[in-house]
Amino acid sequence: MLTTLRIQAEDFDLAEQYSLLRSSSPATTEIGAIVTFTGLVREFEPRSRDHNDDGGALDGMRLQHYPGMTEKLLQGIIDDAAQRWPLLAVTVIHRVGHLAPCDQIVFVGVASEHRQPAFQAAEFIMDYLKTRATFWKQITIDGQPRWVDSKDSDTTAARRWDAQCDG
Amino acid sequence: MAENPATGWWGTLRLIRLHFFGRLSDLATQVPSRCAGETPHAIRQWLAEDFPELAVQLNEPQVLVSVNHCIVDWQTPLTDGDEVAFLPPVTGG
Repeated sequence: MLTTLRIQAEDFDLAEQYSLLRSSSPATTEIGAIVTFTGLVREFEPRSRDHNDDGGALDGMRLQHYPGMTEKLLQGIIDDAAQRWPLLAVTVIHRVGHLAPCDQIVFVGVASEHRQPAFQAAEFIMDYLKTRATFWKQITIDGQPRWVDSKDSDTTAARRWDAQCDG
Repeated sequence: MAENPATGWWGTLRLIRLHFFGRLSDLATQVPSRCAGETPHAIRQWLAEDFPELAVQLNEPQVLVSVNHCIVDWQTPLTDGDEVAFLPPVTGG
């Protein structure tokens, strides 16, 4: 399986990443499905439960990560996905540094022989990335920076993959 | 300020590099980048003396600790040169 893993400040090009997934796998002719996911910076942030604010329109976002550990964790998540589904290629790109509303944050692309493994592996990688990978978002609203709260819904989303294992 | 055990004559023992992320990084700007300590728990206790606000956050159950990029128990013994990081809940993606 071909794995591409990048953490970068620069933006990425969706068409280019799709092309790379489609052409660079050593088993190109076996690819029957490619699923891609792109995460973007939302302009509006809802009210925070931990902060005394009503949310609002974002001035911008800063993404911090733990170099060395992030790559290791993401590689582990990709390896885990490859154990669960027959995958031909996986690309994960996550941006760090300063981002503006509507900017791209994260790309996950999965190539497989059939659509079900591609859909499921892409969702699995995103669910685990959101709950395990060492990234932290700081948003600025009305000139006031604050760290984003983790979401219970993300933890629940990641846990359903554990439940599938147990069952 | 409480004496940083890393600056004493025994300072070469268990010299640990410290990292703080997310909201912890805002509270840890004055924390030395290196210290001594037998376990992450001991370092957390030492930090509480001079950085009570940080210590409150470090005691939150959702905060994890890693040694050399692996999530570990707070009582894990440390050795010289280890890299300890304090990790609040992650919010990437």
